[in-house]
Amino acid sequence: MKFEHRQLDNGLTIIGETNPNAQSTAVGFFVRTGARDETPQINGVSHFLEHMLFKGTDALSALKVNAAFDRLGAKFNAFTSEENTVYYAAVLPEYLLDVAGLWMQLMRPALRDDDFNLEKNVILEEIAMYKDLPQFEVMDQARALHFDTHPCGNSVLGTNESIQSLTADQMRTYFSQRYAPNNITLACCGNFDFDALCQLAKQRCSGWEQMDTTRKLEDTAGTFKNKHIVNPHLVRQHICLMSPAVSMQDRRRFSASLLGMILGDDSGSRYYWALTEPALAEVASMQCESMDGTGVFYSYICCDPDKSEQVTGVLQDVFNKLNTAGISEAELETAQNKMLSALTIKCEQPMGRLVSLGFNWVYNQQYRSVQQDVESVKAVQLDDISNLIEQLSPGKFTMLSLGPKSS
Amino acid sequence: MNKNLDIYKLKNGMVLIGERLEQVHSVSFRFLLPVGASLLPQGCCGAGAVIADWLFRGAGTRTSRELIEMLDRLGVHRNTSTSAHHLALSASLEAGNLSAALDLYADMILRPQLAADQFELSRQLAISELQGLDDDPRQKAMLLLYEQYYPDPYGRPAHGKTEQLQSLPFEQTADIAKKMFDPSRVIFSICGNYDFKTVCQQIEAAFDTQAKPGLAVEQAVLKGKNYTHFPAEGAQVHIGLMTAVPTVTSEHYYEIAAAVSVLSGSMSSRLFTEVREKRGLCYAVGASYKTLKDYAGISCYSGTTPDKAQQTLDVILEQFHCLKDGITEEEMQRAKVGLKTSLIMQSESTYARACGIAADHFLLGRVRGLDEIREKIEALSIDSVGAFLRQHPFDDFTVVTLGPDAVTF
Repeated sequence: MKFEHRQLDNGLTIIGETNPNAQSTAVGFFVRTGARDETPQINGVSHFLEHMLFKGTDALSALKVNAAFDRLGAKFNAFTSEENTVYYAAVLPEYLLDVAGLWMQLMRPALRDDDFNLEKNVILEEIAMYKDLPQFEVMDQARALHFDTHPCGNSVLGTNESIQSLTADQMRTYFSQRYAPNNITLACCGNFDFDALCQLAKQRCSGWEQMDTTRKLEDTAGTFKNKHIVNPHLVRQHICLMSPAVSMQDRRRFSASLLGMILGDDSGSRYYWALTEPALAEVASMQCESMDGTGVFYSYICCDPDKSEQVTGVLQDVFNKLNTAGISEAELETAQNKMLSALTIKCEQPMGRLVSLGFNWVYNQQYRSVQQDVESVKAVQLDDISNLIEQLSPGKFTMLSLGPKSS
Repeated sequence: MNKNLDIYKLKNGMVLIGERLEQVHSVSFRFLLPVGASLLPQGCCGAGAVIADWLFRGAGTRTSRELIEMLDRLGVHRNTSTSAHHLALSASLEAGNLSAALDLYADMILRPQLAADQFELSRQLAISELQGLDDDPRQKAMLLLYEQYYPDPYGRPAHGKTEQLQSLPFEQTADIAKKMFDPSRVIFSICGNYDFKTVCQQIEAAFDTQAKPGLAVEQAVLKGKNYTHFPAEGAQVHIGLMTAVPTVTSEHYYEIAAAVSVLSGSMSSRLFTEVREKRGLCYAVGASYKTLKDYAGISCYSGTTPDKAQQTLDVILEQFHCLKDGITEEEMQRAKVGLKTSLIMQSESTYARACGIAADHFLLGRVRGLDEIREKIEALSIDSVGAFLRQHPFDDFTVVTLGPDAVTF
């Protein structure tokens, strides 16, 4: 594995990790923009814009874009989160420059009115689809409750109302402010020629203009509110807990991820023994999500509505015990082993590796090899976890419960 | 012939197949055990899902907690699933821990404790998961579709039926679990960084027990085409439909794969283009090839708001119908490169290949090498695909809708 890094004069960063033995190559544009960069009037625009990039450029229609990707056999897609919009493709090595070149064109989309109006229907259908999936709905509602006025509580999809009233002009303005080259990282890993990729980026992307894309970073403790939403059509109770964790810039993030795993991995965790193994809940998971300047632990529990009170009581016991007795050396070691094997397996494929490679750069302007991540996981000590429990108090949380039960 | 492929058969009939990948540090393995939903006795629908959880609740001399803690300490990422034919136990882990993990799986398969108190918990979880499907209408619609489409007992839901799970007898379920190791019908596959001789020795020592009869196979009862609406409150109508095609053993398998790719392989495919891109009728639409040993079909899903459901179904059906008019050269080229890319990317994942070679052995009686598949894809032409589609027009469909309103079919 060899890492290389270059920056164009306009601020576009290009990073690459080459592995001549890989059978495939993955490439992605990481745009540092998402729901947290939106105002309420344009809520949902980042995600809608992600759809619109596939509608083509002045020279390429939407149908031609899709056909061009498919001619290359590309496995391609995009996703939008609270703070990133990522466009990616995995291809056989011989098609890498073609697919990267196509993405470079699409990063300057036409944003035509006709396409905008038609795609609006698709976005509204996507919102309707997630309304029927309470496991997603509960997370969205919990995020809004926990973050309150902090922008990380913004919904990625937006609402029916915000999408209905959004105009193509508003989207164009947002695009021009956020898709500046100094806000974008082009990352690539697998079997490819880094110099050739940089040469292509220089030809295609040098004309993009720099902008001020500063994002105001503020941490938040969260509201610690408690809310029930009744939906009589649901069959199960869906519960989400959120509490403060650490940011992507925080060196404690490996400890925080391990703590999330010790408490809420789907196998052998505290939640597993307290909730899943005794059949009180069919799903009980906890994860640490580190973000730009902030972070949350979030838990998702799905259970019988009649057992929801018992479940919340058990959760309280889990956290009380954590506060009084901490965790054991064996629990830490087990979580480290699970995390290391997951890391090994994921990074064996270029597509699996691309996301960590890109995000390490986006958040910290830093290259971290898989081996460095392995060392960081191994280096976490019991004291690090104990300190984190004391500093973050994961037992103090915001809770949202969604289901047929009234309270 | 695939030079990295290993195969070995124990005296009791159990088959071991492996594919070595030199450059990885991980290994994945998979056991296919013949206790799939179609093999379960009448009234025991869902017993496979209960057993899948029960096996992890104590095996050999280890209690439930000791077993889970041991697997976790070894960093074993587990996947357990039930299908019409099998209960599949899969694991991915760092190669150095393989031998210790195989010992634990041998205990779970041959010496599960099957304690009565643990049975109740496994059954309760299976019931909860089944009820949870009501809050996941996309998945539920497709499971209802398979139940309507496949001949009985092949459509029986692996996750069970509430009444049958509630009255599932402990003794009978334990008896089914004891019959799951019918060596002549067990397949073990492994992919990644391993030494085949060492693996064979370990598996032979652990599993070369005397053959025991397993569960009997029932005679299949065919179903005709039909439409069923399942009323449910929700924002969308979830549409599932399925039409018959030959199984993976067919000489036309690659023509079918190409046709599915033209329909739904990517964003320039016909369904995505006609239903979503041109008309904005939905967010999700897609089709895929599903094959059991003796029955196969192309299934299709779309979810859309009630006022667009009828048009969505009509446009989808039209796309299936007009396949008999053939495909274009450009579509053929896109399908070829898409199929080849999927194949190569699958070959980079030890888990995907462990599943792939086990499925090949079960369905075809042999494992196809990547070169063979690549050659078959290369040999496709618009004439061969067109000839197949003319001979197999898609006229008969099983259709399911789940949501507030029915459609006309």
